[in-house]
Amino acid sequence: MTDCPCNSGLDYNDCCGPILAGTAKALTAEALMRSRYTAHVKGDFEHVAKTHAQKIQSTYNISAAKAQSKNTEWVGLEIRETVDGGPDDETGTVLFTARFIENGEQNLHRELGQFCRENGDWVYVDGKINPQGAPVRVDKVGRNDPCPCGSGKKYKKCCGG
Amino acid sequence: MDHHFGCTACGKCCHGWLPLSIKDALAHADRFPLFLFWMPARPGGKSYDLTARLGFELKLKNRKKVAVRVFPVSYVPTGMACPALAEDGLCQVHENKPQRCRTMPLSGSRAENDQVDLLRPKPGWDCDISAEAPLVYQDKKIVGREDFKAERQRLEADSNILKPFAQLMLDSVPSLRMDLQKVALRPKGGHIIVNFSTLIPRLADVDILDFAAKQQPVMQAFAQKTKGHADYSQDHKRYQACADAWQQVLES
Repeated sequence: MTDCPCNSGLDYNDCCGPILAGTAKALTAEALMRSRYTAHVKGDFEHVAKTHAQKIQSTYNISAAKAQSKNTEWVGLEIRETVDGGPDDETGTVLFTARFIENGEQNLHRELGQFCRENGDWVYVDGKINPQGAPVRVDKVGRNDPCPCGSGKKYKKCCGG
Repeated sequence: MDHHFGCTACGKCCHGWLPLSIKDALAHADRFPLFLFWMPARPGGKSYDLTARLGFELKLKNRKKVAVRVFPVSYVPTGMACPALAEDGLCQVHENKPQRCRTMPLSGSRAENDQVDLLRPKPGWDCDISAEAPLVYQDKKIVGREDFKAERQRLEADSNILKPFAQLMLDSVPSLRMDLQKVALRPKGGHIIVNFSTLIPRLADVDILDFAAKQQPVMQAFAQKTKGHADYSQDHKRYQACADAWQQVLES
C-alpha cells in the first residue's frame, strides 16, 4: 500500500496511478487535477503536457518544467472547492492549494483551474492564480424586517433592539 | 508633409536597448543579453490604443487605467554598442538581423500616425533626411510598408503569448503589479525589467538547457564589460545574477 501523493487518502494504485499509467481515465475534473499534481510529484511532465487543452499545448514547456522541478519538492495538495466537472458534465472548475518547497522555502500555489472535455476526456484549459473570492455583501436589515436570527420577531424588537 | 530618410550605416542607432519579437530574441539568444521590459504607455498618446491591444490595461490606484506592453529586449546599457556591431561599423548579422532593425527608423509598436518624431535623427546620428533621400512618410502615412507590416505582425503574434503570460505574472507576483503602478504614475514614464527566464516555461518549443547554454556566456560577457564602471553598477549586478542563474540551470 502506497498513499497517493495527492492526499486523497487512497492507495496510489486506486487513485492517480492508473491515470498516469494510461490504463484508466480521469472520470471527473477533480480526478484529472489530482493526477496532474501527482504527475508533478513523480516528474511525469508528459502527463501534464498531454492533459492540456489543444489550444494551450503551445504554451507549456516540458524542458522548463523538468528543470524547475529539480529545485522544487511538492509536499501536499488540498482541493478547496469544485464546481461541476462531474461524470455527466462538460466543464468544471477546481479550486486547489498545492504546497511546495523551493530552494528550502515553503510556498503555496493557489489556483482556480478550469477544465473541459476534449474528445470525451477531461483536459486543463486555463487557471487563475490566487483568485479573489466574490466580494462579501452585507445587506442592511430594516428595523421592521424579520430578525435575521430567525426568532420571528421584528429586528427592532430582537437583536437590533 | 513629406519625410525623407536614408540610412548611412553610421551605426549610431546600434547602441543601447533593442526591443525584439520573441522569434528574434530566440534566434539571437547566443548574442543578445535578453530581458523582458514591462512598459506603460503614455496616457493620451496616439499609440495608447495599440499598446492596450498588444498588451493589457492595468488599474491604477487613482482609479485610472494605463496600457502596458511586455516585450523582449536585447538589454545593452545605454551608450554601449550592440554585440552584433562589428569594428568596421557594420552589422555582423545583417542578413539575419532582427525585424526591429529592419523597420528602423519607423516602429511597428507605434500607431501609423505616430511616427514623425522617429524620423528626426537623434543628436550625433548621421541619417540622411535631405530631399534626395527616399520618401518614407507622407501625410502621416508610411510609404514603403513591408517592414512596418512585418514587425507589426510579429508583435500581434507575440501578444497571444505575452498577454496570458503577463496576467499569470501579475496574479502570482503581487509586487510586480505594485512596481508597475508606481512606474506608470511617474511623469517621465519608465519600465520594469524582468528576467527572460520567466517566459521560458510558456514557450513550448524552447529547450531550456540549450537556451541556458546560449545565454550564460552572453550574460557573463556583459557582466565583465560592465564591471568596475560606476555608471553600469546596477547593470553589472543584473548580468551577473542572470549568468549565475543560467549556470545553475546548466549544472542541475
